[in-house]
Amino acid sequence: MADDFDVEVVTRDDRSARLLVRGLTPAVANGLRRTMLSEVPTFSIDTVRFVENSSVMFDEMVGLRLGLVPLTTPLDDYEVGESATLALDVEGPATAYSGDIETSDDLVQPADENVPIIELKEGQRLEFEADAVLDTGKEHAKHQGGVAVGYRHLQRVTVVGDADEFDEEEPNILRGVIETEDGELVHTEEFDADLTNRHPGKELEIEDVPSAFVFHIESDGSLSVDELTLRAVQSLRDRADELAEKVAV
Amino acid sequence: MSYKCSRCKRDVELDEYGGVRCPYCGHRVLLKERAPDVKEVSVN
Repeated sequence: MADDFDVEVVTRDDRSARLLVRGLTPAVANGLRRTMLSEVPTFSIDTVRFVENSSVMFDEMVGLRLGLVPLTTPLDDYEVGESATLALDVEGPATAYSGDIETSDDLVQPADENVPIIELKEGQRLEFEADAVLDTGKEHAKHQGGVAVGYRHLQRVTVVGDADEFDEEEPNILRGVIETEDGELVHTEEFDADLTNRHPGKELEIEDVPSAFVFHIESDGSLSVDELTLRAVQSLRDRADELAEKVAV
Repeated sequence: MSYKCSRCKRDVELDEYGGVRCPYCGHRVLLKERAPDVKEVSVN
């Protein structure tokens, strides 16, 4: 395995990013993907104490929905297994949203304010206190910080000549990120994922670039993409070190 | 056990001997109310 990875950011915003990483083996790439899903801890509601629930849903059903609300996670301040307290009190007619949840720690907040929990009619009321616990995705999927994390090979597209004059014009669909002949990185969405839009009437050659992977990373909002990625790498490294230490006699 | 009469909406206490009947209006359909204590639910 190469010692140095070469990382390039293709696109990036707060919740999602595309990163090109060169110098990875497929095993490490997949290990990194799996680590982002299952080893980076996030807060999630774990127990709910219902003071009043006169809504149309059972306590357990409301509880299940609450568990899936992403909560912002200050990983520097909490250890796995520690908890924070949240509360909600909404009286109908209204819809209880995740933004109505009050928290004991300002750093632990619902990542989105507009997740509907339940619609309450006249005279219905939902009041509860809940404990959010910091845990990892391998314990329960509700603790997954990364959603839709995946990777593809970087693909190099080269023009080898003109297409035959009497060839049928068929779309040449390609998804992911391509590398052009002059080394530019272009996402296929830019030309509607159809190479004939970019190179009309040309004959093309497409090949996977060895050990170059384009990761698409999306966070549920509990962590920023940067932190999710860095924590995943750290976790992978820690566990590799631990293995090396235990194997060495 | 606390129940609520479905016709007159009044709270009804049942004992062993009275049978299932609202003492105020004689209606035989009673609804069981949710217990007032806090219920803890674990989410998993």
